[in-house]
Amino acid sequence: MRLTHVPQCAARKSHPTLQRRGASGFPSPADDYLDTPLDLHRQLVPRPASTFFMRVDGDAQADAGFQHGDLLVVDRALAPQRGDWVVAVIDGELCLRRLDGRHQRRWLCPPTPHRARLPLDGESDCRLWGVVHYVIHGCRQAPPLNA
Amino acid sequence: MYALVDANNFYVSCERLFAPHLEGRAVGVLSNNDGCVIARSEEFKALGIPMGIPTHKIAPALRRRTTLCSSNYTLYGDLSARIQQVLAARVPALEPYSIDECFLDLRGLPGDLGSLGAGLCEAVAREVGLPVSVGIAPTRTLAKLANHRAKRQAGRPQVCVWAHGNDRDLHATLAALPLSAVWGIGERLQCRLLDHGIDTAGALRSAPINWLQRRFGVVVARTALELAGQPCLAGTDLATPRRSILCSRSFRQALRQRASLAAALRYHCQRAGEKLRRDDLQAGAIGVFLRTNPFQNVVQHRASLWAPLPAPSADTLYLNQLAQQLLDELWEAGLAYHKLGVMLTDLSPRQHQQASLLAPAESPTQVQLMGAWDSIRARFGRAALTLGIQAPDADWQMHSRRRSSRYTTRWDELPAVRAR
Repeated sequence: MRLTHVPQCAARKSHPTLQRRGASGFPSPADDYLDTPLDLHRQLVPRPASTFFMRVDGDAQADAGFQHGDLLVVDRALAPQRGDWVVAVIDGELCLRRLDGRHQRRWLCPPTPHRARLPLDGESDCRLWGVVHYVIHGCRQAPPLNA
Repeated sequence: MYALVDANNFYVSCERLFAPHLEGRAVGVLSNNDGCVIARSEEFKALGIPMGIPTHKIAPALRRRTTLCSSNYTLYGDLSARIQQVLAARVPALEPYSIDECFLDLRGLPGDLGSLGAGLCEAVAREVGLPVSVGIAPTRTLAKLANHRAKRQAGRPQVCVWAHGNDRDLHATLAALPLSAVWGIGERLQCRLLDHGIDTAGALRSAPINWLQRRFGVVVARTALELAGQPCLAGTDLATPRRSILCSRSFRQALRQRASLAAALRYHCQRAGEKLRRDDLQAGAIGVFLRTNPFQNVVQHRASLWAPLPAPSADTLYLNQLAQQLLDELWEAGLAYHKLGVMLTDLSPRQHQQASLLAPAESPTQVQLMGAWDSIRARFGRAALTLGIQAPDADWQMHSRRRSSRYTTRWDELPAVRAR
């Protein structure tokens, strides 16, 4: 049995045709330099199976750069590290928090200073859902990012 | 060596992924048009509400203790495809079996099978966020039974490995397993086997193969061999009508044209429709999958899409119409496709047609048409009457009052993350 890695493509695939001829039939001098167009989706979503898009609800983390309506690119395959922004389940709700601490002693930073930090020790009612990989913020005074 | 990977309470788990407050609650998922309960969480089962119960028959007091969701096949289909992607990246070959199950070919993989299975469970749980269980055995039939056993384990990961046909746990399980739990053994066959004292899977497995084949035919003989650990069934043979119907085939030559794929799909829809009506069933949801050849150095593409039917149907013409629309979504120009198939699930007996207010039930004309269709093909051969080109028709929205958002496929339905 031969083992073959099955490459996973997302829904999009772009592949340049090998040769483009001008109207005259001569090969274009650019043929040797043909590159695929830049694909932002591929860049931001290297692992489609584990990547989920979500929407920021509220302005409590606006100082950190997350504004209401911003698009979050959340990747569950990333190993959460100290300082990561994460989506966490707190009291049955998906929440945006910053992760701090190491190893067995990790906690979620509170969104406002007067609230307590939440330890992630397995006893508390909160757990990590995924790591925020990118946040996409529309700069114009326009309706939120829609397709 | 094969593995069967099955997502635990799949529809409910999908609902909970983006609505974590449903964890620990009794959650039930309803069939199309919210007719009856088709999936239950463990807590829901513990309340004693049976599978398939019509929604309006659940006592109000009991109903208040539960959360009922309309089925959201768009979401389930997307998450099912993600599970398959995660698994396909780790094994030599994968065969989808239904929306929540797939067979993996583990041949040639190094290392201990138990930790391999645990690794697969862990990968799906981490990357997609859904619990799965894994059964590993030398044949597909045994892998499926091993999966049942894995599901009954209390802790995680839920993995059961029967590394060879002589495994002691396997022997004990088969000896206690009634024939009805084995595929391909229908009620009538069970009675006939019972006449000869064959009452369990263990007894079937130790019966003489030649005698079985003479007496009961090749399917029973093959099943007995499979139970003994000798692979002789393909994945398609196992698609019993009880849960799903699968019709698919690899192409001898890769297909690139939309029209040729459409023709192949028509063929499979005809077969799937026939299988449905043969067992007097109707389908509540349809899926189409499509892939390139993973063993060839070509641009790879593997995708599947599911759609609910507004009302359950066994009408080949209608199933084909929906399947072609799904193919339109899946198909990408320029790729060399190697395999295509159609899957039907959410099956129910055809006579218990539940009238839907929004979408009409199968009309008597449709039923008659399909009756005529089947008898013409039975009498003059399948080639005598085939499906021509179907014009894709109006969209097929269904009645689903409690449907969750399509979190992964619609920009305007993305999950909200609280930052307040």
